[in-house]
Amino acid sequence: MPRIRNNIRRLRFDHDEMTQEELASHAGCTRQTIIALEQSKYVPSIELAFRIARAFGVKLEEVFQYEG
Amino acid sequence: MAPLQKRAWWGLAIGLVFALAFLLVFVFKGGIETFDEDQGFRIIIDILWVGGLIASGVIVNLSLRKPGMVDERDRLIMDRAPRIQWLAVVFTLVAWTITLSEAYHETGMVPTVFLFVIFMSILIVSTLAQSLGIIIGYWRMNRDA
Repeated sequence: MPRIRNNIRRLRFDHDEMTQEELASHAGCTRQTIIALEQSKYVPSIELAFRIARAFGVKLEEVFQYEG
Repeated sequence: MAPLQKRAWWGLAIGLVFALAFLLVFVFKGGIETFDEDQGFRIIIDILWVGGLIASGVIVNLSLRKPGMVDERDRLIMDRAPRIQWLAVVFTLVAWTITLSEAYHETGMVPTVFLFVIFMSILIVSTLAQSLGIIIGYWRMNRDA
């Protein structure tokens, strides 16, 4: 599996302690997927990655980093 | 637990209860010979397996109707579940083939009633294996990370 790191947890707290449920709702996925992403147990599709970045109002690279 | 994962556990539980009821009725009512001759027995078995499939399908599908219940991760797991289904169906068919070949080797022919029983068993196994495939999918995704 490619090593893709993410800052979702930190970004949530930087955004008024946004809950996993709220982020899931903004990004159009389930809370369980946000949990899996935060624990690096799932690598999202490009589309979901963009939706998460948009939910935080930041660039994709600020949320996900490739450690190839 | 994801809604799809809950659905799979429910599907598995309902499927197992109906499969067990089906087996118990089949065994205690007299087995394959009675099944072939007794229409009342056949109706009970038909109600059990068709009822089980409908109950499983309705509960499973209704629980996933609400928007936002299934996302790309769930769909990925659902797309992989047929691998388990395929394996389960093949193993069931192998078991039937070996059992019937050995049991009826002397007579050289298998009673046609087995066609119906094999069909029922394949549908039940396939439904159970779909739920099992989804549960295994979530387990693997957590383990492989």
